[in-house]
Amino acid sequence: MIDKFDVVIIGSGAGGAPIARQLVEKGKSVLVLEKGPLLRPSYQVPGERSDFRRDEVYASGTEKILRVPGVANVGESYYSSHAEPDINDEPHVYRGVKKLPDGSEVPADYATIEGYTAQLVGGGTQLYGGVSLRFTPTDLRLKSFNAGRRTPLQDDPNGDALAGVRDWPVTYDELEPYYALAEELVGINGQTKNQVKPFRTGPGGTPGPGPSDYCYQRPLDPNPISAFAHAGMVALGQRLPGNIEPYRPPLAVITEDHAPSGRRLPRAKNGQPDREAAKTSYVNRYGDPLGLKSNTWVSLLSPLEGNPNFTLRPNCVVTHLTSTEGRVSRVHYFDPGGVRRTVEGKLVVVACSAVESVRLLMLSGQEDPAFATRINSSGLLGRYFLTHCFGGARALVPGRYDKSKALDADWATDCCGTDEFLEANGLWAGAAIYNNTSDQALPLSLFRTHGSTDLDTLWKGFMYKPQMRANGFINFLDYEFGRGLSVSFMANQVPQRDNRVELHPTVKDKWGRPVAYVLKTWHPHDVYLMKLMADQCAEILRLGVASSHPTYDIASDYDLNRKYDRNNEYGGSLGSGGVYQAENALARMANHILGGARFGTDPTDSVLDPNCRAWEFDNLYVTDGSFMPTSGGANPTLTIQANALRVAAHLLKRL
Amino acid sequence: MVRIHEPGSEYVLNFCTKHLGRSGDPPPPDDENATATFRGQIAEAWRFPIIGLVREKDVGPKADDLNLVTFVYKSRSGDQSPVSVLGTFASLCEPLPLKPVLFEGEDTGYRSVSVTVPKGELHTYKFLVQGNYYPDPINPQRVRFGNGRVWSRFFTDEYLQPLILELWELRLLYRLVEQILPFRTAEAENFLQRHYFSLDKGQKVTQMAKAFRLDDSVGEVNAIDKLLAREEAHRLVDYRVCLKQIDRALRALNPYTDPYLIPAEQYIELYNSMAASRPGDGSVPGWDYAAYDNPAFFIYLLRRHAVSTAFSHPKYAGNVGAAGWAYLSERYADKAGATLFDWEPALEKPLGTSEYYR
Repeated sequence: MIDKFDVVIIGSGAGGAPIARQLVEKGKSVLVLEKGPLLRPSYQVPGERSDFRRDEVYASGTEKILRVPGVANVGESYYSSHAEPDINDEPHVYRGVKKLPDGSEVPADYATIEGYTAQLVGGGTQLYGGVSLRFTPTDLRLKSFNAGRRTPLQDDPNGDALAGVRDWPVTYDELEPYYALAEELVGINGQTKNQVKPFRTGPGGTPGPGPSDYCYQRPLDPNPISAFAHAGMVALGQRLPGNIEPYRPPLAVITEDHAPSGRRLPRAKNGQPDREAAKTSYVNRYGDPLGLKSNTWVSLLSPLEGNPNFTLRPNCVVTHLTSTEGRVSRVHYFDPGGVRRTVEGKLVVVACSAVESVRLLMLSGQEDPAFATRINSSGLLGRYFLTHCFGGARALVPGRYDKSKALDADWATDCCGTDEFLEANGLWAGAAIYNNTSDQALPLSLFRTHGSTDLDTLWKGFMYKPQMRANGFINFLDYEFGRGLSVSFMANQVPQRDNRVELHPTVKDKWGRPVAYVLKTWHPHDVYLMKLMADQCAEILRLGVASSHPTYDIASDYDLNRKYDRNNEYGGSLGSGGVYQAENALARMANHILGGARFGTDPTDSVLDPNCRAWEFDNLYVTDGSFMPTSGGANPTLTIQANALRVAAHLLKRL
Repeated sequence: MVRIHEPGSEYVLNFCTKHLGRSGDPPPPDDENATATFRGQIAEAWRFPIIGLVREKDVGPKADDLNLVTFVYKSRSGDQSPVSVLGTFASLCEPLPLKPVLFEGEDTGYRSVSVTVPKGELHTYKFLVQGNYYPDPINPQRVRFGNGRVWSRFFTDEYLQPLILELWELRLLYRLVEQILPFRTAEAENFLQRHYFSLDKGQKVTQMAKAFRLDDSVGEVNAIDKLLAREEAHRLVDYRVCLKQIDRALRALNPYTDPYLIPAEQYIELYNSMAASRPGDGSVPGWDYAAYDNPAFFIYLLRRHAVSTAFSHPKYAGNVGAAGWAYLSERYADKAGATLFDWEPALEKPLGTSEYYR
């Protein structure tokens, strides 16, 4: 078995795969070590049956019982995806609060499945909804923006909301060509028009003529239910500064043949490409059996298969790194049979998602005090851990629609991400807003997410409504099936030094290694921001419905005892809120886990240098979302990919 | 004649590392206690043997009617002892040898063999290790025969015979589940009858037979039986204890009638009193709270099981002939009569109509 490579990359998702692709293309030898399995789309399987299935039990499986010793939710049920690690084997533990019978609250540790996106080749990009937004220029310079702000920040009682905020050491202009490259290589459909982010780079890296759609494939027709979201976004935009209009959100799903990865759309009987083939609502939390969703395996890594410079070792668990005087000398891992092995890389890239990367670096430090000193010379490893402020609003809209033919999102707006909006509302940072189309489209997803706030509370809302049975069940279906529409926001979380990832003092994984321990809270300004953004989402729904159905009562909660009447429909409550309201909101990670090893220009104030190299190591890089000093006002994947491409360009200069 | 297939090491390792990879060597097969501990630590041990899909290139169009069953035995890397499997899916006088599963040419310690088995079948098997027969150390599904011998068990997709629950339990469950699902309203019954009668001749032979064999609207009771036999075997005890209590409670409500034949109103009365009860409150007449102190929890459990089996993929043996989906797809249509739940184009043939997804 070969054990020396130019570059060893740990993790095959958004942070690792782009680097592998660029380096192998330039003739460098690359090993990618991936903890999870390699599940292939059907076109790569002889006989054409993928291990990804359009089967609702694959997204959230049958019941398992938590039996992690010592956590407060031991004995609770959970329902994980076939592509997520088992929580009993490899829990993430967070510090929450436990209510005692007398009503008082005490701190307690809980295990959560939030925070794992997936564990397989392609990482989280296998299961994600594919929303591939750029961050705004302001997202990357929030310290400077707020230093120059004209209006006071709301809900910052201690005046500390901005204390942990840093500008990125990279500007939007520097990152822009890599955004364009990522969009081209990954395979994304969408629309640039009406996005407030500048699109400058043209095809093949040439200077572009200004905003154009060259970087995206053509979007598919939106699901008809999304017309309400579109109308609402138009109306909200008209009421806010700049009259910003909505756009078709960039989604990592190909709608045309994709030359960089060699993927082709399936051909219909008439020989024409079937652009709609991916539109099934088996999208978010499903691996795509056809490989049309642009995960990093199909878009970046599988085209390298057969190249002698590229080695992928799936089902291999990296245990720790060892170093000699500031150089990572060996990467230690268990092979699929559990045999201990090591490899060497001139350069080593850690990209196994923010929580697990921080944990791996800390575990390496436990093995070797010199490593620990170097990796944490700033004292900030694991600190400034971030997720997103997210939430939104949901309502039942007039009429009924076939939501089973949808991708994840149909319309987006940047009207709540402009500097003018932030000034007008006393906000430190903005948000992207988009509607979700595929949510609750299929029967089991409608039942199991009814009334639940997150993956940890699946099924509870439905199970605990015993009166919803027989005719009451039909009434529920009449109200809900094909009628729910939600609009979400994705916003920056205030960086706080004490929000952090540590190694848990007692809980171990199945290999006997300490698991990750997440400690985090929301800043009062986060709560203010989430309320305000959730109100904007609710306003979109209200305005969107009112534009065509002025008398429709969107805000009244429906009563299952009142029979649904198609000629007299009403709203079913305009529910809105933010993640801070969830039962376990302290730990909610929204599947976006970021920070913990932020990059910067000052070695005493950051873990990584501007090229994502650990300050006191010559050859150690960290390129998943942990590098982010702020979490951005949009889904993070495209930015992780763009930054990884930027780091790849730097690494090529070193090899 | 059993047919052996070679799905490749990648396929086998994709299951092994996640579920079986952990620190420490597997125990010797003759140490029952250590084996039970080993099995108890495995996440989702029920996934073994691996019940997978057969590739059309290997068997042609009958791939739809077969599963690929992969037996896995965990040994130590370099251990040369031969391992083979003997079972009712093949000749009982000829054990099939398992082969080492390799990773980059090196022995992983895993041994495996893959065979095709028709869907809808139940089998028992044992491993032959160093001259002795043992049940599968990983698979928790076991049966003890009259002679006291313990064999491992597996069943393939769409297995439709009762496996775990007894007839009286199934009958009670059927009556309970029909109080939850939408299929026992007059309108829905009418739909289900039309659905089965509208199937073409070939489908009718298979789907009608399934539906009537189950004596059940869309097969959910049978699917719950399968769930309790495999994925959620930890919930079997709740069913065993609660169905006994439900039988008692129904007899308390109506002492002169077989609980299966009691009018629906009394099932609803019991359902409502169970749902309204609090742990240990003694509010459900006839219920022995010392045996099970939270009747409401069983209602919650049953609700989840009822809907998840009635509306999940038919391979799990509920939603027979996709009747649950068809119900939704007929009920919800636009003014022109086009369905608003057009599930078929996304799914594989012959269930759905996708030209690309299989």
